[in-house]
Amino acid sequence: MNVVKTRKVLVVEDSRLIHKMYEVMLRPCMLIAAHDGREGLARLGEHPDVDVIILDINMPHMTGLEFLEQVKKSPDFAAIPVVIVSTEGKEEDVARGLQAGAVAYLKKPFQREDLLKIIGRLTPAQAPA
Amino acid sequence: MAGEPQKPTYSGMESGDPLATLMRARQLIHDAQAAIEEASKSVVQQRNSSAEIPDREARLARAENDREELASRLVEVEHQVGRLMTLYVATYQLHATLDPTDVQSTIAEIAVNLLGAEQFALLLRDEEANSLEVRLQQGAIDASWSGGATYEGGDPLIDASLIDGVLRFGPAEGSSVLVVVPLRVQDVTVGALVITKLLDHKGKLEEEDRELLDLLGAHAASALFASRVYARAARKLRTLEGLIKLVKKG
Repeated sequence: MNVVKTRKVLVVEDSRLIHKMYEVMLRPCMLIAAHDGREGLARLGEHPDVDVIILDINMPHMTGLEFLEQVKKSPDFAAIPVVIVSTEGKEEDVARGLQAGAVAYLKKPFQREDLLKIIGRLTPAQAPA
Repeated sequence: MAGEPQKPTYSGMESGDPLATLMRARQLIHDAQAAIEEASKSVVQQRNSSAEIPDREARLARAENDREELASRLVEVEHQVGRLMTLYVATYQLHATLDPTDVQSTIAEIAVNLLGAEQFALLLRDEEANSLEVRLQQGAIDASWSGGATYEGGDPLIDASLIDGVLRFGPAEGSSVLVVVPLRVQDVTVGALVITKLLDHKGKLEEEDRELLDLLGAHAASALFASRVYARAARKLRTLEGLIKLVKKG
């Protein structure tokens, strides 16, 4: 199994349950929590050194896709890999997310192994904090 | 200076002494025998090592099998760890609050995010009104009770689960329900989580979803029960505090 070697992950997700899930599943990582896209951008401003962003789609105030658009427009954040994890699982949803600039799309409910594989693949060179 | 090629000579032979020649010949024969013995030993060694090759190959194959078995067990263990984490998080989150609304939201989050439910409802017994309230509904459920404030009965699967407290899976005649999870506290069924449709990419409930459904049946009910008791107690406390203030003012 891939060991998660990422240091800092921004989680933009409105479900407290899923926040807790990431906290348990990605234990060696430092997680920055945001509960909608707007808060996600604010957290990103405070922590521009995040290694990966895990992003939900359906959220209040600013959706995941709107957040992603803002991130990709910004020269400071555009290079940060974004993984979408969403209950929206239709082909067109996946295509829309990937076209918007996400590097991977995981459908909920997801398996821990799949999430670790994706995150491990993204930042293989970094050591755990 | 060109002439016939020189023949090999041996020490002592040129002397013309026959005894010395004989001695030298014996020495040469002895040396030759030693060389032959050495070569034979080498051949035997080579034969022995050739005989070890199949044995080594068999051991290598066994080691490779062991490695593959361990790798597959590791994958299985990792999968189990993931499942246990899911169960832990669901339990943790259900009991993380004493606010009945938050507990209901957590049940909904578990249904959507961990079970992949698209349409579901949470039915809860109202002891005072002696009815089953539809506390939460997500999606346009195709049933006579859908959209109403209470469930009056009529779905054979839901009715049966509410009576005996047993988890039931559809399909069943006269029911649009996929699964009914009775919520039980101290052997009393206080409600049910009714799932009627899964997300398209989820397809069907897997065997391992059963653990989560069982967990919901036990922990969701006790979390709801505890939060409602707490809310009731807090309300009574506030009323009493108000009364005390009034008495003090008077």
